[in-house]
Amino acid sequence: MPTSNLLNNTRGQALHAYELERPEHLRDWLQNRYKVLQPVHDQTGNGSWEEVHAGDVVPFDPALRPVMSPKSLFFAEREQMFTFDGEMFRTTTPKTEHQVLFGVKACDLMAISYQDHHFRDDPYYQARRKDTLLVGIDCSSPCENGFCSTVDAGPQVHQQNADLILTPMPSINGHSHGWWLICTSDHGAQAINGMDLPPADSHWRYWRDMSNEHALADFADDTYIINGIQRINARAVPDEVWDTLGHQCLSCSGCSQTCPTCSCYAVRDIPKDGGFVRERFHDSCLMVGFQKEASGANPTAQAGRRVARYWYHKFSSDFKAANGRIGCVGCGRCDITCPGAIGVHSVMEKIAHA
Amino acid sequence: MSIKTTSTVCPFCGTGCGIGLRTENGQLLGVEPIRNHPVSKGRLCSKGWNSAYGVERQNRITTPLIKENGAFRPASWEEAIELIHEQFSYHLEEHGPTSVGAISCARATNEDNYAIQKFTRVVLQTNNIDHCARICHSPSVAGLARTVGEGAMTNSIGDVSKADVVVVFGCDPTESHCIIGSEIIQAKERGALLIVVDPRKTRLAKMADVHLQLKVGSNIALVNGLLNIIFANGWENKAFLEEHCLYLDQLKASVEEYTLEEVSKRTGVPADQLIQAARIYSHARAAFLAYGMGVTQFVSGTNNVIAISNLVLSCGQIGRPGTGINPLRGQNNVQGACDMGALPGNYPGYQFTNDPVAQEKFSKAWGYQVPTHPGMTSLGMNEATLQGQFHAMMIFGEDPVVTDPDQNQVAKVLKKLDFLVVVEMSMTDTASFADVILPAASFAEKHGTFTNCERRVQRVRKAIEPLGECMADWQMIGHLARRFGYTGFDWETSEEVFNELAALMPIYSGMSYPRIEQHGGLQWPCNAHAPDGTPILHRKGFPNGKARLIPLHHLPPAETPDADFPYYLTTIRLHFHYGCGSMTRKSPILERETPSGLLFMNEQDARNQGLFNNAPVGVRSRRGYLETRVVFSEQMPPGLVSMPYHFDDIPSNQLTNDAQDPVTRMPELKACAIRIEPLAPTARPRSIKELREQGECDAHL
Repeated sequence: MPTSNLLNNTRGQALHAYELERPEHLRDWLQNRYKVLQPVHDQTGNGSWEEVHAGDVVPFDPALRPVMSPKSLFFAEREQMFTFDGEMFRTTTPKTEHQVLFGVKACDLMAISYQDHHFRDDPYYQARRKDTLLVGIDCSSPCENGFCSTVDAGPQVHQQNADLILTPMPSINGHSHGWWLICTSDHGAQAINGMDLPPADSHWRYWRDMSNEHALADFADDTYIINGIQRINARAVPDEVWDTLGHQCLSCSGCSQTCPTCSCYAVRDIPKDGGFVRERFHDSCLMVGFQKEASGANPTAQAGRRVARYWYHKFSSDFKAANGRIGCVGCGRCDITCPGAIGVHSVMEKIAHA
Repeated sequence: MSIKTTSTVCPFCGTGCGIGLRTENGQLLGVEPIRNHPVSKGRLCSKGWNSAYGVERQNRITTPLIKENGAFRPASWEEAIELIHEQFSYHLEEHGPTSVGAISCARATNEDNYAIQKFTRVVLQTNNIDHCARICHSPSVAGLARTVGEGAMTNSIGDVSKADVVVVFGCDPTESHCIIGSEIIQAKERGALLIVVDPRKTRLAKMADVHLQLKVGSNIALVNGLLNIIFANGWENKAFLEEHCLYLDQLKASVEEYTLEEVSKRTGVPADQLIQAARIYSHARAAFLAYGMGVTQFVSGTNNVIAISNLVLSCGQIGRPGTGINPLRGQNNVQGACDMGALPGNYPGYQFTNDPVAQEKFSKAWGYQVPTHPGMTSLGMNEATLQGQFHAMMIFGEDPVVTDPDQNQVAKVLKKLDFLVVVEMSMTDTASFADVILPAASFAEKHGTFTNCERRVQRVRKAIEPLGECMADWQMIGHLARRFGYTGFDWETSEEVFNELAALMPIYSGMSYPRIEQHGGLQWPCNAHAPDGTPILHRKGFPNGKARLIPLHHLPPAETPDADFPYYLTTIRLHFHYGCGSMTRKSPILERETPSGLLFMNEQDARNQGLFNNAPVGVRSRRGYLETRVVFSEQMPPGLVSMPYHFDDIPSNQLTNDAQDPVTRMPELKACAIRIEPLAPTARPRSIKELREQGECDAHL
């Protein structure tokens, strides 16, 4: 099914692992052949995906996960789809170059994999995606609001979601002993070919699993989320609960904007030189106009219906058949950005107690 | 090719949320909320999320434009400045400095506003400078200056999270100041008690513990009634009143006549709700009171503010964390524009233009004698124009034709002006009347500072280069002043402007760009006494020594419904739009959300007139007429209808009354009488342009 070469790789074969003193060594090596983007501490304090040039002395912070997911690097916030000059339609193909996203967390990688599938026939998305090598990084502890373990997206990177994975060696008395680099695809193998890294000793798998167990044990109680998922799937959430939640939805679109798996867009035609340019841009199903039909009819005119629809799309197993998994990857971003205090944690808590 | 994120401040309301502008090769890609911002903490509203659309290239004016034979043609900066110099010089010479003036901009930076008022006072030699605070919070500035001494939020937005009672008076922050609304929602979730005072059943009113759904324009009766209950039960804060307040006996005596029965009758609020609200507010450990346009936009605007201040002081809910009297200000920098002295009666830092000491201070600092004649407000300049005494005006970034009351009157004024300069980003109704239009740089294209409604001065940073020949207002002012032959306007950077203004303003004297950056914004007063700023005012006392309680009485709106015009119309804001809509309406998402101006109406009222949901209607007041569609709304009580004012094609200010508050000349935007004339069910409402062309715009009964 996947159309890009990157996704047709040697999944299932024995993994190769190497020892790596510092992640920066790998990044500097990759810079010889690729444009490399990594999370950088920026002026806003949010962290952002920025290009790190060869020779730049930018440290790599393994803990930094930018406020915004890397979604827009493939599914742009706004982009031109085609132009019409009055006679001819011309598709606009995005300019791309071979690039590496360096240090992507398990949740965001799961979201990319989800979107790879959703946008499998989308030329704009695929143009950017097929030229991108993904270097994942395992998390060793839960982040603020994160519940990736509940929705089977982390904290450890799923090997089919990245080309290369960085995992920290166990630290003893707080001293870090370096990293293992796990190669999970042909593309990953090609990328490090010639780097001449020492192979990892055979215990690496054991230690990686141990560290995953430790991380899992640190997650906060998630019973209410599991309960909420059950209720949503059983359609056991009363409409009044959704209405109460909907009353607090200010239609800001922040949850959709920060959600790494939200993929809805709208289009508009901008007149230009006797023809027009069609542009597409991120949209959100929490806006009242999202489902409004030309007749004026609107199946989700009530805020409660829109909120119900959103969470159904994130947690219902009805979408598993089509997309391979549920929509939520447990990153917790919606909870931080929601001005109505109805992000994922509050919603699930209220549903569980409904 | 590289992506960069620039940290700046949202250009819409007075909350002052932190946004990151993501750019690539000089193009705006998108917006993100700043996670560790002290106010917004990673949240934005729909306007903030869409702010990149508002400044994009489409529709932007990128060169100076000069009107010739009724049409605009591009011109060079030299040519435009030459023409402005020639025209203003002529009118200054011929009619004197009282015949010219400027309207400054609550959307522009502090640096821009400072430069504009300095130019007006030094070069144009007049105090005729004003801005749109006149039509939002001038009563707050005037009222609070009289009672507690400072016309600004006494506390910080973060104080909502420390309150056990929150009072929302005459505003709907979840629509107009979303992130403050968000704080209130979170406070409610945490268990705080919420009291909402509003004739509409707003989102927060539905969530409230007590909703005082008063009749439009009965604020003072309501507050006096609450005070009477509080005094009668001995619930006032006696220790606070004793130590900090004057004239308690007069206040007590004046509210005695506001008996429970009488107040309940006048306000329409049941007696037990009045008692509940009085009890909850007076018994709070910390009560945060926020208010908005539902208090100020009345002929009794200043008195409404004073009444609220009486209530707050009587219960001692001020000067502590989680308390305060907090006007929610509309524009990103309306606080700053006031701070900068873009007001006829104030120099920067609220130093009075009629104070000889201040006159001498500014004459010395600026190197030119400042004018001593009193300045006119914006509506004053309009009236003077119609009387033939005012001839040339500069308007910076405002669209009074859409946002000011009685639109037909404003248009008449602009037409009558001999010379009008408008500084704008895109063509607005107001700009179309101009003789010269100067192209303004957007917030994304300049450095500077904005001051939010909690008095926090924050850095605005340039993310992209100005489009075409656009420039910041302070730069244009520099060019103009040089042409007029004046010195003292030769700033190289916005930081130089800031350093000049901070040195002249005791409340800003401890601020500099590096210090603002280091602290994530500084709240004034920030000076030697408070080097790290002042999140909470009046902790130890009041600037005038003691706070004043001022007795006052109920006054109905200037126009009340009657047989001919049976409904009250109140103007409102929608979450998705801002001001005259010139920025928000460029976002396809926001435009889709609210495609057109709408009339919100109680379903029963509508049914009584035989109207269905979305039915086309004509709306008529004594001043104007327009057409739109009716939307049934649970928010509206019978007898009251509302219209958003954002839309230039269906402008609610066709209808509004310009009756004014005698103290501040604030027009009564919140109440006027209208009638609704059903159109044929299949009719399409005509836009104001069509109505004007067909000559049906003016009021005819």
